[in-house]
Amino acid sequence: MTSSDSVRSTAHGIRRHLRQVLLSSALVAAALFSPVAASPAIADSVTVGQTFLASGLDPAEGSTGWALVTHGIAEQLFRVSRDGEVVPNLAVSAEEQEDGSWLVELASDRFFSDGTLVTAPLVADALNRTSDANASARATAGRLTFAALDDATLRVTSEKPTPILPSILAEWAFPVYLKTNGAPLFTGPFAVETFEAGTAIEMVPNAFYEGADERPDVTIRRIADGQSLALAFASGEIDMAFNLPVETLSMFEGRDDQTVMSFPVAYQYMMWMNTRAPALSDVRVRRAIDLAINRDDLVAAARAGQPATGAFAAAYPFAADGPLPYDPTAAARLLDQAGWTMGDRGVREKDGETLELVLWAYPQRPDLVTFQPVVRAALADLGIAVTTQVTESPSEVAGSGDFDLFLWAKHTAPAGDPGFFLSLFFETDAARNYSGWSDPSYDATIAELRTAADPETRRALARRAQELIAEGAPVSFLVTPKWHVGLSERVAGYEPWGSDYYVIRPDFGTSQQP
Amino acid sequence: MTNLTATRFVVMTFVSWLAAVAVCFLLIRLVPGDPVDVFITQVNIQASEALIDAYRAQWGLNESLPVQFGLWLHGFVTLDWGISFATGAPVSGELLQRLGWSAAIGFGGIIFALAFGSGLGFFTAITPGGFADHLSRAMAVAGQALPAFAVGVIALWVFAAELRWMQPFAGGTLERLVLPVALVTFFSVGSVSRLVRAGFAETVQAPYLKTALAKGLPFRSAVWRHGRRRAAIGLFAGIAPDLAWVVGGTAIAEIVFGIPGLSERAIQAVAARDYPVLQAYVGLVALWIILGLQACAALRRALDPRLADAALAS
Repeated sequence: MTSSDSVRSTAHGIRRHLRQVLLSSALVAAALFSPVAASPAIADSVTVGQTFLASGLDPAEGSTGWALVTHGIAEQLFRVSRDGEVVPNLAVSAEEQEDGSWLVELASDRFFSDGTLVTAPLVADALNRTSDANASARATAGRLTFAALDDATLRVTSEKPTPILPSILAEWAFPVYLKTNGAPLFTGPFAVETFEAGTAIEMVPNAFYEGADERPDVTIRRIADGQSLALAFASGEIDMAFNLPVETLSMFEGRDDQTVMSFPVAYQYMMWMNTRAPALSDVRVRRAIDLAINRDDLVAAARAGQPATGAFAAAYPFAADGPLPYDPTAAARLLDQAGWTMGDRGVREKDGETLELVLWAYPQRPDLVTFQPVVRAALADLGIAVTTQVTESPSEVAGSGDFDLFLWAKHTAPAGDPGFFLSLFFETDAARNYSGWSDPSYDATIAELRTAADPETRRALARRAQELIAEGAPVSFLVTPKWHVGLSERVAGYEPWGSDYYVIRPDFGTSQQP
Repeated sequence: MTNLTATRFVVMTFVSWLAAVAVCFLLIRLVPGDPVDVFITQVNIQASEALIDAYRAQWGLNESLPVQFGLWLHGFVTLDWGISFATGAPVSGELLQRLGWSAAIGFGGIIFALAFGSGLGFFTAITPGGFADHLSRAMAVAGQALPAFAVGVIALWVFAAELRWMQPFAGGTLERLVLPVALVTFFSVGSVSRLVRAGFAETVQAPYLKTALAKGLPFRSAVWRHGRRRAAIGLFAGIAPDLAWVVGGTAIAEIVFGIPGLSERAIQAVAARDYPVLQAYVGLVALWIILGLQACAALRRALDPRLADAALAS
């Protein structure tokens, strides 16, 4: 071996040794860091784009309470869970008393974002103020009065008796807050750092909310136009785009770093049938119309959603089972039985009258206007001539009773209880019984529902009420729409639920995201 | 300005403004859609008749129209512009917060349009049929023919989503203003250049220019020196009706680029039938347009003594 060979051999040995050291180091590093690498990365800050933003920080003003809850800033005593059930939040229980009042027990470990313990006197102060100032807080059971019996117990009395106080306290009008000399303080997982009206809210984790270390800072940025929201997401300026227009979704197909999740919301699309209209006073005609509409066609027209099964979105425990039938042959048979026979022009006739109906919709929900030609085509096949109208004042027109068919959108269980919708729109003397329908057995069912306290009983009664509605057909439930959320890798685990009522939740941006 | 002239100016301005806001007050209330109905539908609450009545009383909708107008007028002049139906917040605070954004976009756009448009118009006048002339025509046609909303979205797509040169939503104030101001400029620069061109073109044809040239002035200097006053008079006459752009015309830029300006809020208010916001917005815009028209007229009179004499004679 020459000296040069010796040097080469030595150098080769050093290189081999170095390689071994480097390889070993890499393996050790991989072993050390792999558990961290395997769990989802938690971003330091996340930017959310939405078409809406709280207009202020005082829950007593307008619909601010709703916005603060949906932003993850404020919370109520009760909330609606992912499964559509009313569950305790800042409260731990609520019990109805013999005199009709309720005792609400507060959790002992909940704090405002400055560390102040949530106590009954503070809650009573806030909610009494809201009840005085905001008419929306008096919507369901009249004026609620809150009195602190001790630091942990509230007595709540309502102007109108109610068996569902927890559900009412889950309504957006009742966030709990601590009034200060400046902006109010809240109990949600995020606290407001800066608030720029109409533009953005910068939030930091509420240090007094469990798991604060896990949460990122969050900025909610308002981008009013849906197209601009999609472009802001495409440009990477925002990590989450809430409620993307369906026509923008193709922009994100095939992207590795951005995904779009679509989820069914709790709004329901439906069609009122005016039972006071001469042709529609016959239940066979109404049921024929219900049977003639192919809900899959409506979903295709809206390009998102799923056929409705009843009055409530399928996620609710009181939703009706199974698909609603589509059977144009049976529909035609029903019309024949009702005496409406097919005329020469392809329009059914009876006693010299043609079967012609006016179908209304309103532009505030563009999907409803999209549905009009689909419904018209389906009914034309059945021999019903339909003309369409659009109004900017849906409640006025529907309330006047001057319509035949009316396409409608409604969140049918905003506080997780079926009673509100089933009562307000279908009872004989209800304020919003647009269809003019009356069924004594239905009224009796709702009367029973009004006083029932047991959740299982309430669910059974709600399902029974939906069966009666299906039999009487004052309405045709059509589609449960879907909304679309754009997600970057930083919030890839986020799963939307609860429509726009709970967008930013305690698990937002953390490794605990489902 | 004599006291009599000043008084006449103030009275005329107030009467014009009052007529404008009164007509708009009526028109806003003639638009179909009950504000309480719209609000209840939007916030999804259980609305009994009592609740609807409570909202109507709280919002002053039970009063007769003349009383409502009188209350609003008194509030507007005393800077109490009411409470927004939709947000429950004082309108004056909401609008004044937004005024800065709209003014920045509107004035920024107009200033850039005047700068670029005047330059382009001048070069168009001295080189008819040249590149500047073609560009000026193209910009004028584009300003009339292209939909502003689509141009804004395309700009967003190109500069933010594809090239990623800027962050129009999450960037700093200046960064956020670049594209909106550029959009307003783009849609104004063509018409400004044609107005300026017309003024300078008349000078190019004028006999006195030959005299100026005979004195040895270079052509470009002679046209500039002898044509700028005429061009300015034509420009102020031409852009005066477009003053609404400075406040109202920024709406598309505000919506596309997510700017919290006055017009963007007004559009929300139309959808919500938020009368207090709409009425205050109309009051502000009417005041701005009337004062702007008066200012343009004053500038024209200052530039052309013949107009001043005619005004005095009337």
